[in-house]
Amino acid sequence: MTHPAFEAQLDAYLDGELATPDAAELEQHLRACPDCSRLEQRRRAVSAAVREHVLRFPAPDTLRARVRSAVRADVKRRVQPRSYWSALAVAASLAVVAVGGWQAGLRHAASDALADQLLSSHVRSLMPGHLIDVQSSDQHTVKPWFNGKLDFSPPVYDFAGRGFPLIGGRLEYVGGRPVAALVYGRRQHLINVFLWPTEGGPTGGRPATTRQGYHLLHWTTPAYSYWVASDLGLPELRDFAALLQRGDSVAP
Amino acid sequence: MESSELERFEAVVLPHLDAAYTLARYLTRSDHDAQDVVQDASLRAFRHFGTFRGAGSAEGRAWLLAIVRNTAYTWQRRHHGDTLTTAFDEERHSEAAADEHPEAALVAQGERAALRRAIDELPPEFREVIVLRELEELSYKEIAEVAGVPVGTVMSRLSRARRRLEEVLCATTEDC
Repeated sequence: MTHPAFEAQLDAYLDGELATPDAAELEQHLRACPDCSRLEQRRRAVSAAVREHVLRFPAPDTLRARVRSAVRADVKRRVQPRSYWSALAVAASLAVVAVGGWQAGLRHAASDALADQLLSSHVRSLMPGHLIDVQSSDQHTVKPWFNGKLDFSPPVYDFAGRGFPLIGGRLEYVGGRPVAALVYGRRQHLINVFLWPTEGGPTGGRPATTRQGYHLLHWTTPAYSYWVASDLGLPELRDFAALLQRGDSVAP
Repeated sequence: MESSELERFEAVVLPHLDAAYTLARYLTRSDHDAQDVVQDASLRAFRHFGTFRGAGSAEGRAWLLAIVRNTAYTWQRRHHGDTLTTAFDEERHSEAAADEHPEAALVAQGERAALRRAIDELPPEFREVIVLRELEELSYKEIAEVAGVPVGTVMSRLSRARRRLEEVLCATTEDC
């Protein structure tokens, strides 16, 4: 047995905490090694000296009294009937919160998936040949084009006078249903507006989110769910969204 | 909390107030702080008494001491802006102690005073294992529960703490 190993085990041995085989091995070593034997004597003396000289501190009576009165005051404070039923009510409300949180989590995940889909759709539309099915700056051409392709007639505006000319429209398939995609321009930037009837379409989503450098704005009117996607700066995109919202609110 | 539970608490936990106060005294090294720590810890123990699964007196003691210990560490952090753990640098401390206490002074103080002082100057992790083992005679397993460390750590801390005290005794009595 080496001396460091001996010293590590010596205290456990003196405290009676060493397993029997280890203790036997250590005792054998102690008999053979005078150095370790002296070490053992000194270590025993330390323990004895501590027990002999070092003070215990009895709790003062004032402390005892303080503890008792603090505990009893705590009992009185809690004696108001916070009983089985109120505990049950708390548990029930916690359960509601938990389920609500879970559902919100699901909705959250669903709307995130929706935003992902719309973003992909936007990016794909920017690839050559994918942007528009009907190219026209005339809202009276674009709107009728959707007839027979969708089960709703999307509101189409031309904001050329405000710097957001209508470029065209196309069909998209999002969230399990065909939706309208309207394309507007702003200088070199393109804006996709996705919309579908609020009822019967996918719902939810954050009002604004930015992914991969594209901004997504989302809002819902009584009639339609709107998503707007573009690489346009956020302030200008919000101006555009405001135009759409105003246009929608005055639409017949 | 029913009155029977209050009675049970007073029967199981309050008998260990001396042990609680002793540990708190050694951890805070202040009578005033120790009293506040014990009162605070007792109230916490009472409020969580429902979670106490033990039955015997020894279990009640280890349970209360664990709460006292945690309360003392939190107390130190909150009221003195440091932690008991980091308040002492082990290496630096032992050198500083050697500087502060020349051998002659130690001899003059006598073994008893030197030992008490040495314990007060131990890092708190060492101090608490000495108090729990030598004064309260807790088993390694109980100390491990109170200090929230593995039994192996208790063993090595106790060994190092005693070696430290042994050095002090050697220097005082010149008998080694």
